[in-house]
Amino acid sequence: MSEQEKLQEFEARIARGEKIEPGDWMPEEYRKQLIRMISQHAHSEIVGMLPEGAWITRAPTLRRKITLLAKVQDEGGHGQYLYHAAETLGATRAEMIDALLTGKAKYASVFNYPSLTWADMGMIGWLVDGAAIMNQTMLAHCSYGPYSRAMVRICTEETFHKKQGMEQVIKYARGTPPQKAMVQDALNRWWWPVLMMFGPHDSNSPNSAQLIRWGVKTKTNDELRQEFINKTAPDLQLLGLKIPDPALHYDEASDNWISGEIDWDEFWRVVKGDGPCNKERLAARRDAHENGAWVREALNAYAERFEGEG
Amino acid sequence: MPNNSLANKILSVADDSFILGHRNSEWAGHAPILEEDIAFANIALDELGHAQLWYELYQELTGAEPDRVIFFRSAAEWRNTQLVELPKGDWAFSMTRQFLFDVYENVSLERLVHSTNPRVQEIATKIRTEEIYHLRHTSNWVKRLGLGTDESHARMQRALDELWTYALQLFVPLENERELIAENVVPDLGILRDAWQEKTVTHLSASGLQIPENIDSVPNLRAEHTEHLAELLQDLQQVARSEKFGVEW
Amino acid sequence: MDSQWQIYQVFEKERADLPHRNAGSVHASDAEMALENARDVFVRRPNCLSLWVVPERAIFSKTVEELQDNAWRTEMQNTSAEESYLVFQKQGQTARETFVVHVGDVAANSPQQALERALETFDDKNVFVWWIVPERAIIKNEASDAPSMFEPAHWKKYRNHLSYPVEPIMRELKSAQEMLEE
Repeated sequence: MSEQEKLQEFEARIARGEKIEPGDWMPEEYRKQLIRMISQHAHSEIVGMLPEGAWITRAPTLRRKITLLAKVQDEGGHGQYLYHAAETLGATRAEMIDALLTGKAKYASVFNYPSLTWADMGMIGWLVDGAAIMNQTMLAHCSYGPYSRAMVRICTEETFHKKQGMEQVIKYARGTPPQKAMVQDALNRWWWPVLMMFGPHDSNSPNSAQLIRWGVKTKTNDELRQEFINKTAPDLQLLGLKIPDPALHYDEASDNWISGEIDWDEFWRVVKGDGPCNKERLAARRDAHENGAWVREALNAYAERFEGEG
Repeated sequence: MPNNSLANKILSVADDSFILGHRNSEWAGHAPILEEDIAFANIALDELGHAQLWYELYQELTGAEPDRVIFFRSAAEWRNTQLVELPKGDWAFSMTRQFLFDVYENVSLERLVHSTNPRVQEIATKIRTEEIYHLRHTSNWVKRLGLGTDESHARMQRALDELWTYALQLFVPLENERELIAENVVPDLGILRDAWQEKTVTHLSASGLQIPENIDSVPNLRAEHTEHLAELLQDLQQVARSEKFGVEW
Repeated sequence: MDSQWQIYQVFEKERADLPHRNAGSVHASDAEMALENARDVFVRRPNCLSLWVVPERAIFSKTVEELQDNAWRTEMQNTSAEESYLVFQKQGQTARETFVVHVGDVAANSPQQALERALETFDDKNVFVWWIVPERAIIKNEASDAPSMFEPAHWKKYRNHLSYPVEPIMRELKSAQEMLEE
């Protein structure tokens, strides 16, 4: 078969709803795009452990402490599943981690914003995880088998991440005056970064059309973003919270909540590494990696001596 | 007042698990490799879960709500050993501490499951299943780090030298603990110490580590703490104390 | 040296009447740790009865598309003694069926021969992926370790979304608002 015929057969398989599995022929561009997407997704989970991890020791009740630790742990687990999916495409985890630590790889910019108060734990759970779940629910139907399987597992596990956040926001929005102020402040700071999580406008998203044709994505950035706003804005307002977007309004004709324009300068600045916490986040990951080097070496040395595996 | 002695004992057990779980949770997102980040978080979660069960029993005995006990007590009122409040240190330090504690919990729990107090028996039975796994995991780690490289060995030995004396505080009886032992509510700490010593020495030696011979004075009173506990509590309690007790979070 | 250790594929059994299926993989320095890592990574939630890990390099895998090329048949080495191989298949494309599951065993003296025999023996289903694993490469949890490895996940109610019942509150708020508007 010629490359052209292979491509036709590949696209026909995807059109029939078949999953592409490791070992199957795939266009180089499909492989490349998937490694980029999946490893970014994995890095996002790992870096995403940091802003919440910083508050585990300060959680105000035993129940919240246990829940937050379990959530941060899950994020590590989800990063683990995702690195696995990328590995099936020929990328090694060592390479991917190296790309993250040297600043070559990207991850979700939302994690480059600081978590400043306890109420951020509620807001991150509801909004950041809520947005992630929308994206992940879509990706569970992705055409690449290992990515889709990782997503099925992640989606099931993440339901509690969002709900525990929502539970907190509900409580604080109806709580004491300081709690109300804290949760409003959290919304003010997180709303826009969360909307940016869905990525640039479709018109500025060069890979989107191809990813949709190849069954990696089934919805565009703007479609997902709109779905998220429709789902979230009324609930936040119902709780008496004020969304920090004076232009936000309900449009009866389209049945959509229409938001104001995102600050795309800020978006690109943070993506390119100049966000409030980019350096801090990478430094934390590098420290963990470097401080753990002797540990990983020791276990290798032990395995070589005693298990005959090396 | 045997009930009072029991409450004191349960509080000390709960505080040990809680503070250790708190310390271990500091590794979340910072462990040497992803799989172990997840594994060690499991151990931390389990310790916090065990503390929760013991605090609930403490509440049954005294009426004190767990969140009040955790978030509204000052350092001198805590009854954990100094062992668990020490900062997490390097991976060798945290792992060695967890191992020493796991052996203690295992020898203790295998007796507490026969406690004459039905609630103690019930909680111990549940917790023991998890502790068996902890001990297996930390034993595997201690062996690998003890026998791994020169560096890992040196770090493990240093951790052990520092921790050994602190660990012995686990076997210092509380005031009136005799009454509980007489009624077979809890096991004799002297017997536990022998069992603990035998198990730890066997495994540590097999892992190429030397048991420290010069034993410093073992901390005696659980009301006495290092400066680290006050720091820990400042962090732990700051959000909860921004409101009165009773405000929901 | 790779900073991430080696890869072991992980198989979990969720119910007595279900076969082991591939859950994902873990990195570990040796087999014993691989099994523990598998437990910690994949059994944070209930419903695991048994876990297997297999060094990735021990797995011989072919997709249906790869099988169209017969070259693998000539790679057959008949030098080693006959041994038992486990056969895994991916049998469908929907979310439920898309996992690689254990379907049975064959005896053969190479992975290639095992696959040939598996193709003859287990041909009753539409198959998309085949995995052949020598039984001696599989590390299984001891039955006696099962309680401490798998039972605790049942108690971790905090990982269950039902522990955070937010919908009734939101519903209540909504109907209160609607009543106000009317």
